[in-house]
Amino acid sequence: MAMSCHSVISELKEPVDVVIALAGNPNVGKSVIFNQLTGMGVVSANYPGTTMEVNVASTRLDDLSIGILDLPGTYGLGAISEDQRVARRCLLDEKPGALIYILDATNLERNLYMLLQLIELSTPVVVGLNLVDEAKRFGYTIDADQMSRMLGLPVVPTVAVTGEGVETLLRTAVGVAQGKVKLQPMRVRYGRDIEEKIEDLARVIIKELDERPVDIPVRALAIGLLEDDTEFQIVVGGANGGKKVLEEAERLAAEITEHHGEPAAIRFSRERHGLAGVIVESVKSVVSSKLPLTQRLWAYTVNPRTGIPLMLLVMALIFGFLFYVGGALSDVLTRLWQAGPHLLIQGAVFTVFGEGALGRTLLWGFDGGIVAALSVGVPYVLTFYLILAFLEDSGYLNSMAFLADTLMHKLGLHGRAVIPMVAGAGCNVPAIIGTRVLTSERERFIASTLIVLVPCSARVAVIMGGVAKFAGVSYALGIFAVSAAVALSVGWGLNKFMPGQSSGLVMEMFGLRRPSISVIAKKTWYRFKDFIFVAFPIVMVGSLVLGGLYETGLIWPISAPLKPIIITWLGLPLITGIALIFAVLRKELALQFLITFAVAQYGAGATNLLLFMTKQQLFVYGLVMTIYIPCIATVAVLGRELGWKRAAAIIALTVGIALLLGGVAYRVLALF
Amino acid sequence: MDKDKKDITPGIEEYLEALFHLQEEGKAVSTKALAEKLSLKPASVSEMVKKLAALKLVRHKPYRGVTLTKNGQKAAASLVRRHRLSERFLADMLGVPWDELHDEACKFEHVISDKVEEKLLEALGDPETCPHGNPIPTADGKVSEQAAVPLSRFGPGESGVIAKITEEKPEFLQYLASLGMLPDVSVQVQEVAPFGGPIIIKIRCGSYAIGRDIAGHIYLKPSSAVRLHEKHQQSHQRNQR
Repeated sequence: MAMSCHSVISELKEPVDVVIALAGNPNVGKSVIFNQLTGMGVVSANYPGTTMEVNVASTRLDDLSIGILDLPGTYGLGAISEDQRVARRCLLDEKPGALIYILDATNLERNLYMLLQLIELSTPVVVGLNLVDEAKRFGYTIDADQMSRMLGLPVVPTVAVTGEGVETLLRTAVGVAQGKVKLQPMRVRYGRDIEEKIEDLARVIIKELDERPVDIPVRALAIGLLEDDTEFQIVVGGANGGKKVLEEAERLAAEITEHHGEPAAIRFSRERHGLAGVIVESVKSVVSSKLPLTQRLWAYTVNPRTGIPLMLLVMALIFGFLFYVGGALSDVLTRLWQAGPHLLIQGAVFTVFGEGALGRTLLWGFDGGIVAALSVGVPYVLTFYLILAFLEDSGYLNSMAFLADTLMHKLGLHGRAVIPMVAGAGCNVPAIIGTRVLTSERERFIASTLIVLVPCSARVAVIMGGVAKFAGVSYALGIFAVSAAVALSVGWGLNKFMPGQSSGLVMEMFGLRRPSISVIAKKTWYRFKDFIFVAFPIVMVGSLVLGGLYETGLIWPISAPLKPIIITWLGLPLITGIALIFAVLRKELALQFLITFAVAQYGAGATNLLLFMTKQQLFVYGLVMTIYIPCIATVAVLGRELGWKRAAAIIALTVGIALLLGGVAYRVLALF
Repeated sequence: MDKDKKDITPGIEEYLEALFHLQEEGKAVSTKALAEKLSLKPASVSEMVKKLAALKLVRHKPYRGVTLTKNGQKAAASLVRRHRLSERFLADMLGVPWDELHDEACKFEHVISDKVEEKLLEALGDPETCPHGNPIPTADGKVSEQAAVPLSRFGPGESGVIAKITEEKPEFLQYLASLGMLPDVSVQVQEVAPFGGPIIIKIRCGSYAIGRDIAGHIYLKPSSAVRLHEKHQQSHQRNQR
């Protein structure tokens, strides 16, 4: 991935006076602070990796315009993982006037680790000591003044969710950027023998390299090379005289390894942790050692005996909530639309364009398309986002991921994939967006493919309202069973045959946290906004196109080539083929159109599908409908999230499986 | 014990310490390895090893290498213990700068008597590790007597000290290290997911869920932390009596 950070800031519409970067470990409230500072734009999640994209936004302080650069949340600043490389490159490319480093007061030592690396790179840092309220609940206090003295940097205590201290933090950072606040950062010192090696290497660097290939202090470069930092090795290796520097670095690193009995890089890590520990010792005072309620509850969420029943209950609740709350919302929105805007739009369109093909086509898009979004997209997606934000913010998602990891592993996924999969039963669209919580491309592809195979609420509607009603519950259950089997085997197969393997799980567990209503509301809204801008236009354009085809009668010659597939291979009436095409728009149309067409062809009595289809045909139809191409909104999201090539692969795979199984089912059922 | 102590000069102590560390790493210790560790000539090391063997502190079999005897082990562990306690003391109480800790502790460790050691332990609040994160062994050297067991075999509530991480990719090792997972760090297992699922561990730097496959690469020595604590309490009770 060629990720340069160059001119990310120039993405901003207006030039800014000051650039401030925001950095920190994952899950420390960095994104919440970003939202507080800028008031718009980024989704803050408890998951490592969701802010992997570098976010920029601008804000104002007094009469200054300030660009805020939100670096990916990382545990360090080396070259050992993609997110760390991106964060460091951004920092070195953009050279912000100041960097706000968000520290989690409940896990100071590990958080200080990266701060020490920032100090080594001589970054102008202002420290935001976040979650001080949470630390108090854990029974200890942090002496911010003492910490500031030790680090030689300003330390501002903050409570991100309430916004406490956030303005002071920004003001201090701007002060640093403008040179009004002077910093005297501590010197990060290692053991004496290591210091000697660093000095030796620094001397060689100065002597051998005509100019420094990266703009960082010589000392930091020397440390990086001793730590086996692959990125620094490459740039130094490419410079004049770099070869000699690398040889010397290798020799000195080997000496450290020899002397301490562990790789030099690990030794540096150890000493940084040790130094962080020494700082913690002198700033932290324990008031009480009683665990807060949230932590005691957390123990029950991860203990298999209590956690697994709880997880099943939560999943049932999610499903029920989506089904009932989403369903109710869907009813209300559809009725509201029918009562007002529907009539207005119909009246306006017919008045201006007449009641001919053009007018009716426009209605497909501006009436039918919007109804589709209001009745399926909005209610289920909004409801799901609300649940997701709550689960993330409370930290429960991590507990679920922990318990579900075993099953997911068999499908080549992590436990983290469990939530998008559950979400898929509501609507595939947010579920696929939700796969961003997964770290590797491979996992995202597998998870997205599986989500597409999970029957969403619209497909459930067709299965229940069409197959169960006319052919019987056992046929409907059959469809669910077959699609579950398909999803499991596809997951298993992809895991087995796709190159690469699921990387091991190392996931930070931070217990439960008190969810903040305002953070949940904001997060839900930001994500939902995203959905509206992606799915709405597509559904409308899609509806216009299909409406045009239908109203002009072009749909019939187009559907002719379907004959061999629909009639010969699947043994279904041709009209079902057209219904299937329309259902790409919205899956529940598979049922609605079938009934509409049936009425048109066989007269008003044809609402009973059994008049022209056998129970077996209904089963085949339901099965094909469930598995083939997901709806157009899902396709759009797949394309955007995974790239069109992968989206096409998923579509081809699902269509292939649907047709194969449909044909086989037709022939097997004919035997009885 | 006291009589033995008189024979152990600082020079001998250096040897014992080096041997202790090499054994801790699980290596077979040849005189050559020992010479490298101490940056001395193999010939003078051989000489010294003979002296140590005479004092019954080490066993030396040709081609089998040098091993600490029970007494040697005790003496070495006690030394390492005093060294790491000294580092704690110098860092926490006196605020000696980080980069001078090790060297200062090297001088300091030789003048600590058993009594002072006991007092130090008490004053420092019974620390489990030195500032570098290395565990402070019990006086009888329990830390290194335990064989290392993969984390994947630990149950909830059990604890240990990371002995080694047998993972080949250096980036991954460094990643774990940046999270605070590196040799000599104490680990407590909080929860184990059923059916070969992940394990939640707690270390100084927070809690992590570790997949069972990775856990198979992390070897722990079952903890002596509990025993250290018990021992401390026992000696406390003895003192009170």
